[in-house]
Amino acid sequence: MRFTKAIIPITLCVLLVSLAAPAQKQKGRTAKPTQPTAVVSAIDTDALKGLLTQQRERPLLVNFWATFCDPCRDEFPDLVKINSDYPSQSLEFFTVSLDDVSEINKEVPKFLDAMKAKMPAYLLNVNDPEPAINLVDRKWRGDLPATFLYNEKGEVVYKHIGRVNVAELREAIDKVVKKGSS
Amino acid sequence: MKRTLSILLASLFVIAGAIVAVGARGGEIPEPPAIGATIEDFTLPDVDNKDHSLKSLAGKNGTVLIFIAVQCPVSNAYNERMEKLAQDYKARGINVVGINSNVAEDAAAVKAHAAAHNLTFTILKDPGNKIADKLGASVTPEAYFLDTNNKLLYHGRIDNARNPAQLETSDLRNALDAALAGKAVEKTEAKAFGCTIKRA
Repeated sequence: MRFTKAIIPITLCVLLVSLAAPAQKQKGRTAKPTQPTAVVSAIDTDALKGLLTQQRERPLLVNFWATFCDPCRDEFPDLVKINSDYPSQSLEFFTVSLDDVSEINKEVPKFLDAMKAKMPAYLLNVNDPEPAINLVDRKWRGDLPATFLYNEKGEVVYKHIGRVNVAELREAIDKVVKKGSS
Repeated sequence: MKRTLSILLASLFVIAGAIVAVGARGGEIPEPPAIGATIEDFTLPDVDNKDHSLKSLAGKNGTVLIFIAVQCPVSNAYNERMEKLAQDYKARGINVVGINSNVAEDAAAVKAHAAAHNLTFTILKDPGNKIADKLGASVTPEAYFLDTNNKLLYHGRIDNARNPAQLETSDLRNALDAALAGKAVEKTEAKAFGCTIKRA
C-alpha cells in the first residue's frame, strides 16, 4: 500500500513532464523566425583593393569563405575565438563571403549570428570573381576557405588555403602583433 | 613477452606515422598539369559501376572533363549550362564527361541527381579522388578541355558567373570554338570558382 502511495505521485510527475516536453517543442517550432542581426556589406573588387591596401597601424587578418563551403563553416568558431583573443587595437580582422549576393541578408548573416561573429563582414558582389582572386594572390586558385595575414606594411606574412591550422595561424599572428597590445 | 611488446610498439609507430602523413597531405591539392601536357588515359566507373576509359568517352574532336557535385550550389547553378554545353558540342564532335570526386556523394546520389536535373552526359565516380588529384582539380565546377590526343588546351571555369544573368565571358565555349575552328585557344586558363572537392 505504501509502495502504491509513493508510486502514484512519481508516475504523475513523469506524465506531466512528458506532456510538457512536446508542448515546448511545438512552441519552438511555431516561434516567429527572427531577422539576422549581423551586418554584411557588399563590396566590389575596387572596394576590396581599398580594404587590403589602405594604410594601417596594425596587422590585418582576412578570411575568404562561403556558407556553402563546409571547411569554411568548420573553421569559423576558431576564427571567432581568434577575433576575441586579439583586440582590434592589435589586429584588424575582417571576413569576405563569396556567397551569391542573394544571400547577403539571409544565409550569410544567419550563419554569422549563429557563430556570434563580431568581426566586420563583407560579401564580394562581382560578376566575375577572377580579378578579385588575382588581386589577393595570383597563385590562389579561388578555392575556399582562404586566409591571409598581412603585416603593418601590407605584406603577406602568412597564407593558408583550406581549413586553417589554428596553432600555426596564432603563431603567425603572435609574430606580427606588437607585444603588449594583444 | 618483450618481443611481443616491441612488435606492438613498432606497429603503433607505423600506424601513427601513417595517420600523420595522411593528415599532412589533407590540405594540399596537387598542382594541375600545365597547358599543353598530355593527360594519360584512365578508367573510372560510371554511376552504374560500369567502367569507362577516357579513350572510350573521347569525342572525335576532343573531350571536356568537368568536376561536378551533387550538393554544391555553385555546381548546381551550372547544371543547365553544362547540359546545354554537352548537347551543343556533341554534335560538333566534342564529348562532355562529368566526374564526381566528392567522398560524401556516392554513385546512387550522383545518379539520382543527374536524373533530377536532366544531366544526360556520362558522369563518372572518382573513388579516392585519384583523377581529381592527377588533374589537380580543387573545386566544382572545374573544367578541362583535351584535344584528340588528350593534350590539355584549357583548364578552369566554365564561364565568369554563377548567376547566368551576369554572364560576360564563356571561357570554356570560347576555347572549344577556337579549337574547332583550328585556331589557338586565346585564354587557356581561368580560375575556377566553386565548392572545394571533398577528398577522401
